[in-house]
Amino acid sequence: MDFFANFIAGFTVALQPINFMFCFLGVFVGTLIGVLPGIGPVGTMAILLPITYGIPPTTAIIMLAGIYYGAQYGGSTTSILVNIPGEAASVITCLDGYQMARKGRAGSALGIAAFGSFIAGTFGVIGLQLLAPPLVSVALRFGPPEYFSLMILGFVVLTYLAQKSMAKALLMAGVGVLLGTIGLDTMTGMPRFTFNIPELLDGVGLAPLAMGLFGISEIFLNVEKTVKQEILTTKLRGLFPTLAEWKRAIGAILRGTVSGFFLGILPGGGAVLGSFVSYALEKRISKTPQDFGTGMIEGVAAPEAANNSAAQGAFIPLLTLGIPANVVMAILLGALMIHNITPGPMLVKEHPQLFWGVISSMYLGNIMLLVLNLPLIGLWVQLLRVPYSLLFPMILFICLIGAYVINNSAMDVVLMFLFGVIGYLMRKFEYEPAPLVLAYVLTPLLENALRQSLILSGGSFGIFVSRPISAACLVVAAALLLSSLLPMIRKRREKMIAEAEEDE
Amino acid sequence: MNADRVSSLFWLLLGLIAVYGSFQLGLGTMNEPGSGFLAFLAGSFIICVSGGIFLQSLIRFRGTPLEVKSLWAASNWHRSLIIAVLTLGFILALEGLGFFITSFLLLFLLFKVVEKLSWGKAVLIPALTLTVTYVVFNIFLKSNLPKGIFGF
Repeated sequence: MDFFANFIAGFTVALQPINFMFCFLGVFVGTLIGVLPGIGPVGTMAILLPITYGIPPTTAIIMLAGIYYGAQYGGSTTSILVNIPGEAASVITCLDGYQMARKGRAGSALGIAAFGSFIAGTFGVIGLQLLAPPLVSVALRFGPPEYFSLMILGFVVLTYLAQKSMAKALLMAGVGVLLGTIGLDTMTGMPRFTFNIPELLDGVGLAPLAMGLFGISEIFLNVEKTVKQEILTTKLRGLFPTLAEWKRAIGAILRGTVSGFFLGILPGGGAVLGSFVSYALEKRISKTPQDFGTGMIEGVAAPEAANNSAAQGAFIPLLTLGIPANVVMAILLGALMIHNITPGPMLVKEHPQLFWGVISSMYLGNIMLLVLNLPLIGLWVQLLRVPYSLLFPMILFICLIGAYVINNSAMDVVLMFLFGVIGYLMRKFEYEPAPLVLAYVLTPLLENALRQSLILSGGSFGIFVSRPISAACLVVAAALLLSSLLPMIRKRREKMIAEAEEDE
Repeated sequence: MNADRVSSLFWLLLGLIAVYGSFQLGLGTMNEPGSGFLAFLAGSFIICVSGGIFLQSLIRFRGTPLEVKSLWAASNWHRSLIIAVLTLGFILALEGLGFFITSFLLLFLLFKVVEKLSWGKAVLIPALTLTVTYVVFNIFLKSNLPKGIFGF
């Protein structure tokens, strides 16, 4: 009965005109940036953060959430038609989606991607609604040591999944923690690393940091490249998959939904991980694995379902524990804290309208996205023809103005530009910005948890291993770190042995 | 010049500065950590990991090393440099000259000089963009865009 009561209560919030409108705005913008390569959901959410200051927190989170899961829908369009992923979680869709389009089956690919995303997204929201309340009661057993260890686990998982070097990703997490200490110490009131700049007393803002690292640096990198977009000109027919296509795809959609949802909950996980793992799973269980990459509908259905359900699952640790599962959730956490709302176990009691309103808005958002992505597919195809040379000045300009209006201060614009240059150099030298931003957002929580734990234990770090949940988190983190080292050690031994044999 | 070697030395220096700064702030005691405690831990961590990356770059047991020159070899880095300079100019002039003038100049130069669009497009697109931005930020969101010395 609670489920339905919460369901109805949430809908009364989600159906308020302002929330409905911003939900539509969020999913529309999300689809747009998912379709357009060159900017992803993180950069967009960072750019739109200043806009959320003037609207109620529930509305702000509904809009920002809409951008995130909307981008998962939109990303499939450009992956299928142009073979360029609109955002990271749609990379894997390129493999079979583009091949389907080349064989004249673009309509089926787009249709199954949209329907699969809708089914997965809806199941994901149901899962969120069912799992979040019991997890809240588990979260109430978390004390400072558990929170600290869980955050450390989150850093390790995120860096474990780093595309380049894990060591570099860990280094970025350390830099993020250091950046997070800039400003006034909340316990002692002492200014830290402010260099006598008054604007830094409140720390480096999340919006300038994220806009710089993800927005400005992306522009600097993209303008250096010449990317030719060849959009397949086949007519889009038959957006509704045939019965035979449904029979093949439905299993993949359901498996992708489940795997994506649980991978999305994992700290460090998210839509990207979900899409990759679901594709690998489908290939493994397929009777014709050699056909993956040639236009298999399962190769589109599974990752598209997974990335959408993962997007919903990622809300669970944020809303129940107050720990962001990935950098997108870190931006949402930042947005909540800007509105003086601390997510965690007490969120559902202190702000039930926000909690259930956001969840219910996702049902509406998924319906809106199905409408946006099927009948309006022609519009998105036209947008793909807009050259990047016209887009990037707009994106740059919106970033600059967006940064200024945060505090009507040029300092925020300067900081954004500085982080833009730093982000550009970081990416050139193969350092990923995501661990840095996640660590930066978590630093106030991390520091409080660390300090409180040490006060509780009288200065002993043993408290982190003597409490079972905390110990479990640290053991898993250590195991992941060790498992990443083992292949290196093995390969090094093999290389040394080979070199020794050559010398003989 | 090995890219990992250069970058790791940079981060090593940052870590050393952080550790020095944390001592200035005070580490406190183990049962009452001070303002510099977390910065000390973060700085020490940065030093250790960057040291590891530096050593790894010397040993080179993994693949072909990344050279600094190669990072910019096959790219139009001049474009990003020009855009960065124009952006910096915008930031420096924004509060002095005001939102309209600096924004128009930035967009016009980006479209005309960098992207080499026609005069018509290079004027029309910024004009439309400024109008929409003004409506959204100043009227809808009630932000205060800078007016500059000319009052607009």
